[in-house]
Amino acid sequence: MPDIDTMGRWRRCCGRVLLAGLMLCGAAARAEHHDADFSLRGFGTLGAVRTTSDELEFVRDLSQARGATTGWDARVDSVLGVQANWRITPQVEAVVQGVSRYRYDRTFRPEIAWAFVKYDPTPALTLRGGRLGTEFFMLADSRLVGYSYLTVRPVGDFFWHLPFSSIDGGDVALTVPLGEAVVRGKLFYGLANTKLPLADRQWDIGGSPMAGGHVEYQSDAWQLRASYANIVFKNDLPLGGLGLSPEGLAHLAVDGKRSDYYSLAALYERGPWQFQLMLNHIVQHSNAFESSDGGYVLAGYRIGALTPYLGYSRVYSRPRDNTLGDPTVAAVMRDSHLDQRTTIAGVRWDVMPNVALKAQWDGIRGDGGSLFPYRNDPADRRWSGRMDVFSVTLDFIF
Amino acid sequence: MRRIGLLLSLLFCLAAVPPARAELVVVVNARSGVAVLSRNEVINIFFGRYRQYFNGLEAQPVDLADANPERARFYQKLVGKDLAEINAYWSRQLFSGRMQAPPKVASTEEVLRWISAHPGGIGYVELSKADARVRVVYELEH
Repeated sequence: MPDIDTMGRWRRCCGRVLLAGLMLCGAAARAEHHDADFSLRGFGTLGAVRTTSDELEFVRDLSQARGATTGWDARVDSVLGVQANWRITPQVEAVVQGVSRYRYDRTFRPEIAWAFVKYDPTPALTLRGGRLGTEFFMLADSRLVGYSYLTVRPVGDFFWHLPFSSIDGGDVALTVPLGEAVVRGKLFYGLANTKLPLADRQWDIGGSPMAGGHVEYQSDAWQLRASYANIVFKNDLPLGGLGLSPEGLAHLAVDGKRSDYYSLAALYERGPWQFQLMLNHIVQHSNAFESSDGGYVLAGYRIGALTPYLGYSRVYSRPRDNTLGDPTVAAVMRDSHLDQRTTIAGVRWDVMPNVALKAQWDGIRGDGGSLFPYRNDPADRRWSGRMDVFSVTLDFIF
Repeated sequence: MRRIGLLLSLLFCLAAVPPARAELVVVVNARSGVAVLSRNEVINIFFGRYRQYFNGLEAQPVDLADANPERARFYQKLVGKDLAEINAYWSRQLFSGRMQAPPKVASTEEVLRWISAHPGGIGYVELSKADARVRVVYELEH
């Protein structure tokens, strides 16, 4: 029976994405005669993904409420975005981006991803204010733009802890030449503006302050970055009705608790080669979440229009012992456990200008208690820890 | 005999004229005060990493449309990348809200006009097309 339900939802989702696409294409066509000061452009992905496991559901990141199992699922990776840039003066630019993707409330309802004003008083200094993308990790602010990267989606073991995509706030970036290389530093501060799905509930983290910064070194083919960011959660997890004692609820409180995100990244791009190495270290200051370490390596080699790639990622978290001896508390705490490694193999085919077709296999092998990245966890909170994920995407920009 | 001589000289001419297309060079506005740039500085300007000349003037790059084969040649020689990769790079910069790609024009003549109209203008043209409006600051390797 779930098949009929899934099919219906699938069809409705596809219909909405297509309709939105047609509307946006129409808008883009009308804007074609823009002058240099105004532009309307967009990006999108049509994706299908299936796994080899019905034990739990595979999602792109923790912002999605439901995910893929053994049937092909178009919700996980499909996305459509359209962006307007308006250059008001040579130094001032306004940017608005609308995005439709499968989100926390199980809909494709379009949302305003960015809406900010950018001011460049000098070629070395940039200030932005409004709704901005967050760079918690390198490349994190272009995770939805499939055309911009090699893989079908950002590497899961590294990026799927990042349900935050934007802040309402500001950032400042300074670029300084260092010989023939360039050093760029950036600081940001703002408030989160989203909800996160938790089982059949939603956790509102809107208003949670987020802050961070990074230093980046760019020279020829190299890009190296060290970054730090944090969020101080506002609101507790929606744990009412689980039968938790007042002590249990207090123990699992996250309101006012901070999470720290440290990361190092190295990118190398020269000729047909592309390499990426990223490492992160996440410290959770609440009892409800486990602190974790993760990392990945990715290598691609272009042969004409085809770029085959291989990658490997690893993530694990440290369980806490202080469960108060309460099985319900322990169960909630186990939900944020991570211990798995993923082998990635795929190919990107640049079919025609501005269109790429990708196919990828992810072999996930982990501990049966590695539950955090998934949805619809089994009742006993154990699974086989083995899942193969098959994905195909069509990425485009216009 | 004369015919053979003609044929030989024709063959000689064909061999002497390089079958490869003419050399691409990076040019700036002749009044910019910039005399020479390194490969890394050209990369920094065209990829938007840093757009200021040594004298403080802002560098204002102009690019060619994809349809112009010189665009593919330029990026292939500069960084060994295909146009799909260059366009992927700019889609990341654009849709992350960081910056827009340099403006594109259709022809070399428009590149030269654009550069002469912008004090910090910089673009790439065939060496033989570089005229008094611009100064050659970097030669792309063959």
